[in-house]
Amino acid sequence: MFAVRPRLPPLRSLASLSPAQINTVTQSPFRVFDRQAKRLQKDRAAARDWGNRSRTVDYVRDEVANRMIERFMDIKKNFSSILDLGSGPGHFSKLLELDRTQKVMMLDLSKLTVERDPDSEFEVQVERLVVDEEELLDAIPRNSQEAIVSCLSLHWVNDLPGVLVQIKEALKPDGVFMGAILGGDTLFELRTSLQLAEVEREGGISPHISPMADPRDMSSLMNRAGFTLLTVDVDEVKVAYPSMWELLDDLRDMGENNAIVGRRHLLHRDTLAAASAIYKELHGQEDGTVPATFQVIYLIGWKPAPQQPKPLERGSGKTSLKDVLE
Amino acid sequence: MQPTVVAAATSSTTKRTPLRRLAVASTTACAKEASDYGKCIVATYTDVHKDTCKEEFDRFGACLRQTLKRRW
Repeated sequence: MFAVRPRLPPLRSLASLSPAQINTVTQSPFRVFDRQAKRLQKDRAAARDWGNRSRTVDYVRDEVANRMIERFMDIKKNFSSILDLGSGPGHFSKLLELDRTQKVMMLDLSKLTVERDPDSEFEVQVERLVVDEEELLDAIPRNSQEAIVSCLSLHWVNDLPGVLVQIKEALKPDGVFMGAILGGDTLFELRTSLQLAEVEREGGISPHISPMADPRDMSSLMNRAGFTLLTVDVDEVKVAYPSMWELLDDLRDMGENNAIVGRRHLLHRDTLAAASAIYKELHGQEDGTVPATFQVIYLIGWKPAPQQPKPLERGSGKTSLKDVLE
Repeated sequence: MQPTVVAAATSSTTKRTPLRRLAVASTTACAKEASDYGKCIVATYTDVHKDTCKEEFDRFGACLRQTLKRRW
């Protein structure tokens, strides 16, 4: 007889958990991203080098959180608690001050990410929850939150309209939602370089950069979810890198690896080298660096409430604008 | 709105992984071949198909293989 020795599966078998093909019969058409893979990628990014690698690549999220807190400070209202959806280690929550809120509740898909930084870095009281953003209402009761914020996490959500509806449901009447999400021009340099390299070297393209929201669609999505008094604006953060390779390293350390369902797990090194050469020639700057663009869409919306100011009925105006201007 | 340049990120990888060696070779030792290949693509990027710049890439690839002393 054979002596069968039980063997643990190698760690490598955990590395790729996504099905190779998209099957539209068994999967909802909304399933674009592999949430389980995203959770693993974020966990790994936060654990690498005891979190130090992840801390060195906080620059994009910290910059966006800074720009978002400015908008948040314009809301002259005090909150007893704020919910930070997809908080990461708390880029936005760390900037909150006691005169605005007593407490912040941080929700994130990845346990290691949300617990990366200690409470001492926050001014307000912190509570952490590991929750999938897509199942917000399973963790948070309806009509319970005064304010929900989300800083650069909703671009990995499969059903964005559905999540916006859940956010609105979780808010109390007259509650506010403020979000920053990545727009469609994000990483266009990397997207075009990889596409050109794949076409020229291999004769076809495959998805490497996620599809992202179009700024023009966001106000109708917010409207459809039932928010009123909308504000949507678009901004860009540009970062300069020595070459494409540093960008790829940093994206991985941010936990922003590719998590599209049906992605390729392997890129041929010829294709990668070709993409790096194309990136430099097509987008490179005079000082020898290459730029990477992050397009950020800022959203503000309010849950309707009876006492809220509303626009007047169409046609109810008594003064002609023409008279005023003449 | 005016885009702002945040900071020039510095190289975060110090370990000499195979991918890192490829990165270094493609940006230093083979920079000229890489640039020739890139220029060829930029000249034709509205109509790229397979092997449009094969000649340039063969030189770039040969340089990489020679620098890394590996075949693939």
